Amino acid sequence: MKKMTTAALLAAGLLASGLAAAQATVGQPAPAFTAVDTAGKPVSLDSYKGKYVVLEWVNPDCPFVKKHYDSGNMPATQKHAAAKDVVWLSVSTSGNATKDPKVASSLNSWTKEKKATPTALVLDDGKIGQAYGAKTTPHMYLVDPAGKIVYAGAIDSKPSSNAADIAGSTNYVIQAIDEVKAGKAVSKPVTQPYGCSVKYAS
Amino acid sequence: MREVTSLYKFAAASLLLSLQFAALPLAQAAGPVVVTDHVRSELLVHAPDGIRPGKTLWLGLAIDHQPHWHTYWKNPGDSGLATTLAWKLPAGFTAGEIAWPTPKKLPLGPLTNYGYENKVLLPVPVQVPAGFSGSELKIGLHAEWLVCKEICLPEAGDFELVVPAGAALAAHGALFDATRAATPVAPEGASATARVENNALAIEVRGLPAPPSGEVQYFAEDIGVIDYAAKAGQQWVDGTLRLRVPLSPQRSESPAVMKALLVVPGQPAGWTLSIPVEGPWPALGSAAPAPATAAATTTTAPAPATSVAPAAATSFMLSLLFAFLGGALLNLMPCVFPVLSLKIFSLVQHRDQRGKAVAGGLAYTAGVVVSFVALAGLLLALRAGGAGLGWGFQLQSPLFVAGLAALFTLIGLNLAGVFEFGGVLPGALAAHRAKNPLVDDALSGALAVAVASPCTAPFMGAALGVALTEPAPRALAIFAVLGLGMAAPYLAVALVPALGRLLPRPGAWMVRFKVLMAFPMFATVVWLLWVLGQQTGIDAMAGVAAVLVALAFACWTIGTPVQSRRTRGLFAAAGVVVLAGAVHLAWPLLKAEPATAQAQAAGDWAPWSVEAVGQARAAGKPVFIDFTAAWCITCQFNKRTVLNDAQLLKDFGARNVVLLRADWTRRDPAITEQLARLGRSGVPVYVLFGANDSQPPQVLSEVLTVEQVRAALGKIRPAPM
Repeated sequence: MKKMTTAALLAAGLLASGLAAAQATVGQPAPAFTAVDTAGKPVSLDSYKGKYVVLEWVNPDCPFVKKHYDSGNMPATQKHAAAKDVVWLSVSTSGNATKDPKVASSLNSWTKEKKATPTALVLDDGKIGQAYGAKTTPHMYLVDPAGKIVYAGAIDSKPSSNAADIAGSTNYVIQAIDEVKAGKAVSKPVTQPYGCSVKYAS
Repeated sequence: MREVTSLYKFAAASLLLSLQFAALPLAQAAGPVVVTDHVRSELLVHAPDGIRPGKTLWLGLAIDHQPHWHTYWKNPGDSGLATTLAWKLPAGFTAGEIAWPTPKKLPLGPLTNYGYENKVLLPVPVQVPAGFSGSELKIGLHAEWLVCKEICLPEAGDFELVVPAGAALAAHGALFDATRAATPVAPEGASATARVENNALAIEVRGLPAPPSGEVQYFAEDIGVIDYAAKAGQQWVDGTLRLRVPLSPQRSESPAVMKALLVVPGQPAGWTLSIPVEGPWPALGSAAPAPATAAATTTTAPAPATSVAPAAATSFMLSLLFAFLGGALLNLMPCVFPVLSLKIFSLVQHRDQRGKAVAGGLAYTAGVVVSFVALAGLLLALRAGGAGLGWGFQLQSPLFVAGLAALFTLIGLNLAGVFEFGGVLPGALAAHRAKNPLVDDALSGALAVAVASPCTAPFMGAALGVALTEPAPRALAIFAVLGLGMAAPYLAVALVPALGRLLPRPGAWMVRFKVLMAFPMFATVVWLLWVLGQQTGIDAMAGVAAVLVALAFACWTIGTPVQSRRTRGLFAAAGVVVLAGAVHLAWPLLKAEPATAQAQAAGDWAPWSVEAVGQARAAGKPVFIDFTAAWCITCQFNKRTVLNDAQLLKDFGARNVVLLRADWTRRDPAITEQLARLGRSGVPVYVLFGANDSQPPQVLSEVLTVEQVRAALGKIRPAPM
């Protein structure tokens, strides 16, 4: 009996690590997805093959997201990406993202208010987030033209909810974009994301 | 909501009243209590004997959460932020780290956090300065915490409290005691190791106080390593707990030593573990920049390994610099003296033949570098295979030591003129030059490395500790640079004519000098025999000495000029038979059990063990550990001088320091592991643990001085409470 439990536990562990291994990893192909954006248009990652793409997990209610939007830091990062011909997809994950039309409209007005300029604002009811292993808002990814993940992690190097910390921090997304555009490898390809939990339906 | 707030106000008011009854002054305007939307938090003091100079007092922030709201542990898990405390205390008062009580796992969909619900106290030890003479103490605190349910709110509070210095402050004793009982401790006599196996940490924990029944919960202290939500596989085999902890697919760190908490049913406070990770971490995912053309290739070349901050927080370039300096310093160590004398000899020979000198210098450098890299590669391969080894490992093998003794005997006999080799040995005179002198030089480089490894020169301890935890290519680079540093002085003399001219001219004196050089070789043999004696015992030592005599006889039979072929054959046969007989007799002796540790643990010193350290510290005594080995010259020198100093031993006695000696002459995985925890891989290492965990262990330098040890003793704080 004891042996059986042990075997079951080990199997569970193996299974879990197997599932984990199937999650997005830097250096591996980015999970493909097709979804709708807040304008009701279909968005697919494949359609941006040949360009660098930033994925940003967003939730307007989260203080860490507010830190980077109220200070203008995230919109400035989006402009920096656009100037370098990098596509920017903001992803809003929640249990009712695609079911409740209010989600899209409130996201749209919030984006306008914050002067944010993502290429598209993707609605996700959890599948995309799970595939990417997105844990926090914000959680940032950079996908290269070949569809491979070259950066995953935090927006910057100071994990806090205080906007005053932005000035003294390294913006990992800008750093990664600048490095790949200069033909270099990303010097910090994986960092520890910080923020609120992504709001998966539990 | 409003009722709750007023309830808190009422509670706060009644608390203030009770404080008054305890004859304490009322708090200042800021006060000890802060009530925010979702928590009520209070600054507490615990000093049952009053606030006395030189003693420890405890402060703490008690956080009372609304139902279902939580704040975070030092590692918050998948999201969140740890609570931070910034103290404002009078000059001289030093606040330690938060003594975090054991957290709970807080699952949330596919994510998991580590944190606290309901009530928690975050205690902090504070050292009262020896010169404190105030009648009261004013305590200020700025705390920040993130409190979450479905949504998160960053909250902060400023607290202020003035307490009398003389009176006992024990009103919250029960809460502080209960929190201490719910704080994880290091299990006595337990040790753990980990290996990375296909996307998981395979952890083995040995010597846990009791076989845990039920499910073990694993909490990682290190941020950015494991998959917090994944279930850890677990198995209990013959007193060893085996865990399989899945790694995060987006792992960003590669710690050399993992810190973790194990919580089992019936042991809710849990155990803290330091788990050295054996062998290298796989490189973190990184990707080469995509080609500028938008060619959507699906496969790209694997990118170089990414850099990770090593455990010792020494950057890679700094490690390289230390390795170079350490290598150069190796030349000053007594172990390499015999080989160096030969090197100087060959430099003198080539003094006026620049081309040969340069080629020889380069060949020697190549020999040194290649040998270091080969040795390090072997070590890494063995460690990856799970062997608990450290630098100097080859000298832990009696066979290797015996082989080295035989080699030095041969070199000595050759120098003394007993026989001449075809030239495979360094130092052959120009008249009997080897067919390929460069092979000589390269071999003498290899020899220098073989004998230098027991002398961990100053600076090298940290660099080697880092090296063995780095990914293999970097580790090998560090060892290569070490070799470069060691060879640098000779290369310089060979390459720079001005330096070369400082050497004496070659001449007839060299014949005498050559014979003179035989004596340091034989002295080295004596040392190696002593090491062997320490490792195996007096029988093996005598056996190997007999083999060396037989070897000398065999050399003589080869080297003696004889007339006829038949005599030569007889001579050679006699030599071979005698040598074979001696080896045959001595062989089993090398497998003998080691001499007991009693010889090592003489006088004031007791043999080291994890239990001995645990017992001493449980009794509130500081501990000084001497990590040593018979084959380590630096260790022996320090042991006979500094650690034998009468005044120093008196100081140890006065402070009740328990003296332990960890003898690494033969392989001992427990000691290897302890060294790894200290970020080292070789001996000597000297470490002084305070009586408690309020301060980190002090690791002293390899170039030990009495003053240094006394200064470290002076920094020990007395036990708290």
